[in-house]
Amino acid sequence: MSRIIVVSNLQKHFRVFKHRRGMGGAFRNLFSRQYKVVRAVDGVSFQIRPGELVGYLGPNGAGKSTTLKMLTGLLVPSGGELWVNDRVPWRERQAHVATIGAVFGQRTTLWWDLPVIESLDLLQYIYKIPPHRFRRNMAEFRKMLELDPFLDTPVRSLSLGQRMRADLCAALLHDPILLFLDEPTIGLDVVAKERIRQFIRHVNRERGTTVILTTHDLSDVEKLCERVMIIDQGRLLFDGALDTLRERFGGKRALVVDFAQEYDDVTVADAQVIERDGRRAVYQFEQEVLTASELIGRLSARYRIRDLSVREPDIEATVRRIYEERLLEG
Amino acid sequence: MRLFWELVKLSFQRQLTYRAATLAGLATNFFFGLLRASVLIALYGARREVEGISLDGVITYTALSQATLAYLSMFWWYDVMNSVYSGDVASDLLKPMNYFVFWLAQDLGRALASLLTRGLTIMIAYAVFVGITMPQGGGQWLALGVVLALSWLVSFAWRFLVNLASFWTPNAQGVGRFAFVLSWSLSGFLMPLRFFPAWFVRLAYLTPFPYTVNAVVEVYLGVLTGPGLLRLLLGQLLWALALIGAGQLALRAGMRRLVIQGG
Amino acid sequence: MRFALDVYRRLLAVQIRAQLQYPVAFALDLGGTALILIVEFGSLALILQRFEGIGGWSLVEVAFLYGMVEMAFNTMDMLFSGFDPPVFGRLVRQGQFDQLLLRPLGITLQVLGSRCETRRLGRVVQGGLIFMLAVGLVDVRWTLLKLVYLPVVFASVVSFFGGLFIIGSTITFWTVESIEAINVLTYGGHEMMTFPMTIYNDWLRRFFTFIVPAIFLNYYPALYFLDKPDPFNLPPFAPFLAPLAGGGILAAALAFWRFGIRHYASTGS
Repeated sequence: MSRIIVVSNLQKHFRVFKHRRGMGGAFRNLFSRQYKVVRAVDGVSFQIRPGELVGYLGPNGAGKSTTLKMLTGLLVPSGGELWVNDRVPWRERQAHVATIGAVFGQRTTLWWDLPVIESLDLLQYIYKIPPHRFRRNMAEFRKMLELDPFLDTPVRSLSLGQRMRADLCAALLHDPILLFLDEPTIGLDVVAKERIRQFIRHVNRERGTTVILTTHDLSDVEKLCERVMIIDQGRLLFDGALDTLRERFGGKRALVVDFAQEYDDVTVADAQVIERDGRRAVYQFEQEVLTASELIGRLSARYRIRDLSVREPDIEATVRRIYEERLLEG
Repeated sequence: MRLFWELVKLSFQRQLTYRAATLAGLATNFFFGLLRASVLIALYGARREVEGISLDGVITYTALSQATLAYLSMFWWYDVMNSVYSGDVASDLLKPMNYFVFWLAQDLGRALASLLTRGLTIMIAYAVFVGITMPQGGGQWLALGVVLALSWLVSFAWRFLVNLASFWTPNAQGVGRFAFVLSWSLSGFLMPLRFFPAWFVRLAYLTPFPYTVNAVVEVYLGVLTGPGLLRLLLGQLLWALALIGAGQLALRAGMRRLVIQGG
Repeated sequence: MRFALDVYRRLLAVQIRAQLQYPVAFALDLGGTALILIVEFGSLALILQRFEGIGGWSLVEVAFLYGMVEMAFNTMDMLFSGFDPPVFGRLVRQGQFDQLLLRPLGITLQVLGSRCETRRLGRVVQGGLIFMLAVGLVDVRWTLLKLVYLPVVFASVVSFFGGLFIIGSTITFWTVESIEAINVLTYGGHEMMTFPMTIYNDWLRRFFTFIVPAIFLNYYPALYFLDKPDPFNLPPFAPFLAPLAGGGILAAALAFWRFGIRHYASTGS
C-alpha cells in the first residue's frame, strides 16, 4: 500500500456549554442551554507512507490529542475523511485496534495490580499472538528495554521510566504496523529519554513500523523525526522535513555559560549577551549564523568555562515565531 | 484552640458545598424512610403501640433513623483511611495539633452541616408530607441536645478507631466495611432496639452501638425518661471515653508502625 | 464466542488473583460479608417472630422472598461489579475507559471482566442457605414446573438488577453528580422486594408494577410457588412474567448502553 494514513479535511467540533452564573442563570440553564462551538480540528489534511517516523507537534490545546484520538478510533470526526490502513478507524474499531499500538505518556495500557509479565501474557492472549512470535518479541524487547529487573513487579510500583518501557513493549508485542506515541518521554531524565528514543528508532528502522509521535520536547523531534507536522488551533501550519523547518524557522537559541572566574567583559562575535549574573552569562545566537558548537569553541578559546548548557527553543516559541513572522504561505 | 474552631468552620463550609450529593442523599433518605415505614406499619398491623412506641412514633422513628444516619455518618466513613493511603497523613501528623483532635474538629464541622442539610431537612419533609411526633417540653429538648452531642462523640471515636486499621494493613477497607455494617443491626438503625428480645438487647448494650442511633431515637420519642435517661447518658459518656482512650492507644502504636503508602 | 468467554474468564482470574494477594483481608471480607447477612437476617427473623409475621406472610414465607432476592442480587453484584455506577463513573473520569476502546475486544465484555467483587460470594451462599431452608420448611406442593421455573426466576432477578446497574453506568457518561440516587432503584428495589408487596401503599406499588416491574420478579412468582392467592387480581399468567420483566430491563439497558458509547465516541472525555 502506498499510503498508510490518509486524512482529508478532517474536522472535529465540540459543543461547550456555557455556564450561566447565579440562581437566575441556573434556572435559565434548565430551559435553554447556551453553547459555543470549539473547533479542535478544523480542516486538517495529510498523508503518511508506511515506514515514516513523523513528529506531530503543537502547543497545548492545539488539536494534537484530538487528532490522535481520531486516528486511534477513540473519537468520531465531525467531518472530513480519515483512513488508516484502508479502514475507517471508528467504524471497524476492533479490527483497526488489532493492527496498531499506542502508548500514552500519562496513562498505562497495563493492568495496575498485576506484575508486568502477567499483563504481557494477558495481552498475548487478547491479541492472539502466536507463541513463537511472542517469545521472539519478548526476547528482543527484554534486552533492548532492559525489562528483566522489573518484569515481576506490579505496574503500580514502577517508576515512570520503567512504566514507559513496559508500555512500549506492550504496544509492540503484536507487531503492529502503526505505532502512536503520545508524549512518550515526558517527565523522564535525559538518560531514560535517550534510551526510549533509541528504541523507537530501532523499531522504525528494523521493523518498518510507522511511528506517529506527539511531543512537546523538540529534542525528541530532532533526534528521531525526518518529517514534522505542526498543528495550532486546529489547523496544520507546517508539514515537511525537519531540516526545512530548521532552516526556515530555526530562530534564536540560547547558551547558558558558568565561567570559572569573574570576567568583566564576556563578549564574543556573532552572539548577544542577554543575561548577566556574577559568573553566569546567557548568550543568544542565530542558528543560521552560528552553531552552538562553534559558539562554544569561540567562548572556550577566550574564557575559562566551568559549565554550560543549551536552552532549546521550545515548540511554543517556534510556533509563535511562525505566526509572527508569517513565514507560511496560505 | 483557634485552630480547632477554624477546622470546624472549614469542614462545615465544605460540607455545605456538596449540593448535588446532598440532594441525592436526601432523595435516598426519604425513599428508604418511607420504605421502612411501610414495613413497620405492616408489622404493627392492628396494634396501636408496641413497647411504648405508638404508630405515629414509629413512623417518626423511620425519619429519625435516616436523619441520624447522615448526621453521624455511622456506616460510611473512610476519611482517615484514605488520607493514610494517599500519603496525606504525613503532613497531617506534622501539624501542631493532636491527630485525634484534628479529625475530631473536621468531623464536628461535617456533622453540624449534615445535621442541618440532611437531618433537619428530612424531619421537615416528613412533617410536611407524613406527619411526625415531637418531643414534649423543655426537658426533653434539652435531653435531646445532650444525647445528640454524646452520640456524635461515641460515633466519631468508634469510626476513628476503625479507620486506624489502615495503619496496619493496606486493605483496611474490608475491616471498615465489616465493622460498620455490623454496627448496623446493633445501633437500632433498622428497627428500634426495644422490639428485639431481651437477650438481644442485653447483648447489644455490651457494644457502644446502641448509644448512637438508638439513644437519639429513644430520647426523642420520649420512651426513656428519669433514671433510665440518666443511665443512658452516663453510658454514652463512658463509651465515648473508652473508645477515645482505645483510639489514643491504637494511634500511638499505629504511628510507630506506620507504613506510608504513596500514590 | 468461545474466544470471548475465554477472555472473560481470564480477565476475571486477573481480578481474583489481585484480591488473593492479601489472603487474610480477603478471607476476612468473605467471612465478614457472610456474617453480616446472618446478623441482618437474624435481626429480621427476631422481629418477625415477635410481630408474628408481616402483611399476612409468615417468617418462613418472608425468608423465601428474602433468600431469593439476596442470592440473586449478590450474584448480580459479583458479576456486574464492573458496572457498579460509581465505580464505572470513576473509570470514565480517569480516562481508563479509553484503554478499553484501544483493545481488540468488545467493550461490554471488558467492563464485565474489569471487576469482580468475590466477597459477595459469602452473601450469595448465605442467601442460598436461607432460601433452601425456607423451601424446605414451607408447607407447599412442589411440582416439576415449579422446580424448573425457580432458576428462571433467579436469572430474571439477576438480569433485572444487572440492567439497572448498566443504566446507572451509562448515565455516568453524561454526569457523575448525584449518581448515588440510582441506589434508590438498586438497593431500594432490593430491600423492597424482600417483603410482600401488600405492605406498600398504592403509588409505590404502582411504580414498581408499571414503571419498574419489580413486582413480577419476586412477589408474583412467590405467590405461585407458595400457592398463595393474588390480592390484586391480576391475570393468571402474572407469575410467569418474570423473564419478560428481567430480560426486558436488561435489553433496554444494553440498548441505552450502546447509545451511551456512541455518545462518548463523538464527544470524548
